Amino acid sequence: MNEKNIFCYLMVAPALLVTALLGIYPMLASMVMSFQSYDLLAGQRDTIEWVGFENYRTILADDRFLQTISQTVIFTILAVGIVVSMGLFLAQVVNAKFRGRAVVRTLIFSPWFVPPVVASAIWMWLLQTERSPINAVLRDLGWTSGNIRFLTDPETWGPFSIPMMSVVAVRVWNGLPFVIIFLLAGLQSIPKSLYEAADMDGAGILQKFRHVTLPMLRPVLMVLLALLFMNGFGHFEMNYIMTQGGPRNLTNVLAVWSYQEGFAFFRFDNAAAASGIILAMTSVICAIYLRLQYKDDLR
Amino acid sequence: MTILRRTALAVVLGSTAAIAAGSATAQDAVEFWTMTYGDQLNWKGEVEALIDGFTEETGIEVRHEIVPWGSAFQTYLTVSQGGAAPDCADMYWLHSFSAIGGDQHGPMPLNEYRDEYFPTLEEDFYAGALQDVLWQDDFYGIPWRGDIRAFIYRTDFAEEAGIDGPPQTWDEIVEDAKALTVRDENGNVERWGFAYGTATNVVSWLLPYYWQAGGTMMTDDGQTATIDNEAMRTALTFMRDLMWEHQVVNPDSLEAGYDPQPLFVNGQLAMVGSAEQAWGVELDRDYPQLEGQWAMATSPAGPENSDSFSGAGYFGVLRGSDHVEECVQLIEYMSRDENMLRLAQAAGTVSTKPEVMASEFWSDRPWKIVVGEALQDAHTSQHPAPAWSAIATPEPGGILYDLMYDVIVLQEDMDASIAEAQERMQAELDRS
Repeated sequence: MNEKNIFCYLMVAPALLVTALLGIYPMLASMVMSFQSYDLLAGQRDTIEWVGFENYRTILADDRFLQTISQTVIFTILAVGIVVSMGLFLAQVVNAKFRGRAVVRTLIFSPWFVPPVVASAIWMWLLQTERSPINAVLRDLGWTSGNIRFLTDPETWGPFSIPMMSVVAVRVWNGLPFVIIFLLAGLQSIPKSLYEAADMDGAGILQKFRHVTLPMLRPVLMVLLALLFMNGFGHFEMNYIMTQGGPRNLTNVLAVWSYQEGFAFFRFDNAAAASGIILAMTSVICAIYLRLQYKDDLR
Repeated sequence: MTILRRTALAVVLGSTAAIAAGSATAQDAVEFWTMTYGDQLNWKGEVEALIDGFTEETGIEVRHEIVPWGSAFQTYLTVSQGGAAPDCADMYWLHSFSAIGGDQHGPMPLNEYRDEYFPTLEEDFYAGALQDVLWQDDFYGIPWRGDIRAFIYRTDFAEEAGIDGPPQTWDEIVEDAKALTVRDENGNVERWGFAYGTATNVVSWLLPYYWQAGGTMMTDDGQTATIDNEAMRTALTFMRDLMWEHQVVNPDSLEAGYDPQPLFVNGQLAMVGSAEQAWGVELDRDYPQLEGQWAMATSPAGPENSDSFSGAGYFGVLRGSDHVEECVQLIEYMSRDENMLRLAQAAGTVSTKPEVMASEFWSDRPWKIVVGEALQDAHTSQHPAPAWSAIATPEPGGILYDLMYDVIVLQEDMDASIAEAQERMQAELDRS
């Protein structure tokens, strides 16, 4: 090992140590717990038993949990799909040169300055049925006669509901600046000569987007999608704060379910098993990403 | 250079000695945790003034730390599983945390100190409050604060509607709530006539109606669930009808984010069936402009009685403490009438001692007199089963929450919902 390698290892060591202590170790401990009987109220801490996949069988036999899994996937696909689509459009806007660009950029990036917990509290107020200024505006405009129950309407259309769409909208609002910055960095790394060549070939805006921008953004988009999906499957705070998973479990997601099982019902074993499912789901995304990257490297 | 080295050495040695001395003092001091009540600075100042008085009297040093309410549950859950614990603390949910801690961690029984330090316990405290410090015949500490719920209503709206005084019965609640509910021309509600309770805990709304209908949650030994009965049907029918048949209760009441206080203050809500006494403190402090426009009253009577929801917090000792006797002395000091009064004044919570509730402080406002009267109807919210907090958790998936939601909000089959809840509750009791 040469001196340069030693220096590199030393530089990453603190970060690795912190990750191992605060990330890897709790994750492994949680995985171990998911194969044990760990019920806080059963008074059996001295004789914790290995139960194999029993906790997984228990939670997968629970209709509410199965509903929660499907909603987690739908929430994530919706949020990621919308945020990336909007991000692709808005990144082009903030990348363009025009008068007032600084103001537009500030406005677009401003939700990033709001922590998710605070954003949830603000939007809870904005979407509260009777106090909602949005409802007031809609009524004043004559577009609605009654109040829309943004976070509490129990009606469903297949797997969709108004509360689900409301929470997705808030998650998109809060996550959009991150996506735009990511994509903006990618856009700015695309050589201008490619667009000039496309212009000479007579390509229009859409053709340039399809044949130059998207292919050149592919590596950035892959990383971004992987991050957003992994983050989406484990998302907690907005769903928990805004609806606690209600009404009728319509906005529940796996991380909230896991938290409730552990801290409200003291079933840490079931909570750990739910976390195991989240880990499995994020691992699939990770595997897909690595495979695609490997293929790219081979080209 | 030599002078510089000597100076540096002296600084290092001096600092080390100071840190060691500080550390030794910190280790010798009793560590005492409390949550915050009312104004945080005022509360901290008052507790620390009391601690100074205790230190002056006994020579025992006490280090006070605040546990924010937002993380209190997780903190004591961790403590009960062997996490870093103080010597003594302001605690709650004795039954659950005792069961979780077993005989290794969590709350510590103080039976051997009871006669010496608290010889007149039964005479000094309300009987209901003592239920919160007794578990399986063991004594765990001193109940210092109560959380009693009372009826609260807007007197200005009642007057406008020609209503003379608060409702006395369930039937009168319905009648008054209908008169007080106001809708616009499109049918949107501008003012709800009634709310079951405050935002603290949705499940706590059901309990008083169930008790008032003559029900009990479980047998005295905490072994058998007893909710599949006529009393539960009566209570749930009353609550469901208020929402759907009479349409005087907001259908969003059971959802996250529902908070009746802003509605009450803004004139969008006329009556609340079960409000903490803290509402009195908050309305006095934050909304002086509403003076004369609201009043508290004792709970309207149900078919069987007028029971009110009552909770309590206690000062207790944690297993593993090296300062048990010092902690007991501190708790005894805090439980003296004059100190309990200071705590009640700072916290804005009712006292667990009749002597303190008879003081001038608890009679200088009309609502305080009502709170004192409500204590006569206090029904403890503590139940003799460690699983109670899981059963009563106010979140989707909780047994009683789901029962309320299914029957009241979704209007599902009541018998089937109650039978399912009974079965789930029994499974929870068997689990612990």
